Amino acid sequence: MKIVVVGGGPAGLSAALNAALSGASVLIIDSNANLGGQYWRHLPASWSGQSELHLDLDSGLLLISSVISHPKIEIWNDAQIWNATHENGVTTLRVITSGVEKTVLSKTLILATGAYDRSLPFPGWDIPGVMTPGGAQSLLKGQGIAAGKKVVVAGTGPFLLPVAAGLAQFGCDVIELLEANSPLRWFKSLPTLISNLSKIGEASHYLSKFKKFGVKPKFKQTVVAAHADTNGVLVAVSIANIDSNFNIKKIRKVNCDLAAIGWGFTADTSLAGALSLKQIVTKDEGVAVWVDENQQSSIKGIFAAGEITGIGGSELSIAEGVIAGLAAAEFAGFKTKISNDHKKVRNRKRKFASALINSYPVKSGWQNWLSEETIICRCEEVKYSKLKFAVTELGATDSRTAKLLSRCGMGMCQGRICGRSVVDLVANEIGISPSDISDKERISVGNRPIITPISIELLANGE
Amino acid sequence: MATLLAKPSASITFTFNGELISAVPGQSVGAAILETGARTLRVTRFENKPRGMFCGIGVCFDCLVVIDGVPNQRACLIEVRDGMKVNTQVGGAWSK
Repeated sequence: MKIVVVGGGPAGLSAALNAALSGASVLIIDSNANLGGQYWRHLPASWSGQSELHLDLDSGLLLISSVISHPKIEIWNDAQIWNATHENGVTTLRVITSGVEKTVLSKTLILATGAYDRSLPFPGWDIPGVMTPGGAQSLLKGQGIAAGKKVVVAGTGPFLLPVAAGLAQFGCDVIELLEANSPLRWFKSLPTLISNLSKIGEASHYLSKFKKFGVKPKFKQTVVAAHADTNGVLVAVSIANIDSNFNIKKIRKVNCDLAAIGWGFTADTSLAGALSLKQIVTKDEGVAVWVDENQQSSIKGIFAAGEITGIGGSELSIAEGVIAGLAAAEFAGFKTKISNDHKKVRNRKRKFASALINSYPVKSGWQNWLSEETIICRCEEVKYSKLKFAVTELGATDSRTAKLLSRCGMGMCQGRICGRSVVDLVANEIGISPSDISDKERISVGNRPIITPISIELLANGE
Repeated sequence: MATLLAKPSASITFTFNGELISAVPGQSVGAAILETGARTLRVTRFENKPRGMFCGIGVCFDCLVVIDGVPNQRACLIEVRDGMKVNTQVGGAWSK
């Protein structure tokens, strides 16, 4: 039986290569058309000029080509896992690939399913032209197009920098780059930042780009509403000065045709949830898969690496992937050695990730940006008033019940976009402070028995 | 402004709501449509509100279009093919 790696980003690729180099046969199951994940998303090989948009695409392309050319690694692209179960040491994965539903059995599994942008609801966030920074970035890096001309980039976290720089470099007029938090927060984690000098170099790289293109980052401001023209498409956003708890102080309006707004990342723990792996709540109130020193999860033979063990960026993902790949190979009976150096690198990157999370919190004042009419669940078009009604009138006392009574989070994305926000909103309505929300409540949001929608037809015709 | 990309010339065509669009092999349906300036990919089933690309990576299911008669296709994930007929998805999964 092969070692199965789920995900073809920095963590999955590093894991697959290290497992294969240890002698194991490996199958990579990736949902994207091309390997690389979100971080190393790149243009088709026949296009050129892409390296300008990446700081380290070369290392990514090298890893990708090493994986592709390795005789012991098989790759399934465009493959979606819709269901997973684990029994008697064997994991059964149900996969849709090339229009066919297939079953894959594995005794050694590595999950590297990555993360996606965390979004917060606000009036008008459903208007075409409002996107996640990751969405704007994927169009730039993977498709070579800018999703607008006059751009506002907002939210919190270091990821806003490459997105704004990329758009500016591409000829967009980046009229606003807004970091919701104060720059002073950085200083609190200075010692850890200094031990990660490469990251400081990265920040100054973006700052020089901003200087070149006339982008001036502003702090303690953010987008709190979006406005549409008569066709329903984005024409302007309302930008607020906010206090340290994200409450609005004063508002101005700015015309734009693209607003890229993101609040950090949410780990894609759907598969881990389906397999009942132990999960934990992280400092940013997100959910992560628990792993031991060797990246092994609470189930023996199932390993996890990268963003799903806690948001930390590509370098941490690679470090974890290496360890997971070696540990998985060892579990599968191959002779390998995980050196202390591997663990040292990983632990240092983890510390840095933790410092970053402290620097870019999402504060509960965002809930005051909403109006009764604001859409909370984009899929099912559930308004804030309806979610509140489920609590105040129908008696829901947790987010799961509120979801069943309001349909919030019951659409095709299965709460991936609104789930985290719904937990916070329901708690607030009941009168529970964010810090008192139980881990169980936060973790349950990511539990989806069916991981990706599948048609009955596909299911009926499966192999 | 420096040109960053030497994109190969568009060598395939598809239609979006009957309008002919040329595209480069390897482009996603969503990107090829966005490049024409169009922003709306679907219309919601309760309030008839326009929706476009949001997450761009297959998570949010907001960029749903009908491709060759099959609804609920994520425009951000699907590679454009020559002769494809793409339409705005109006309403829910059951409307063909």
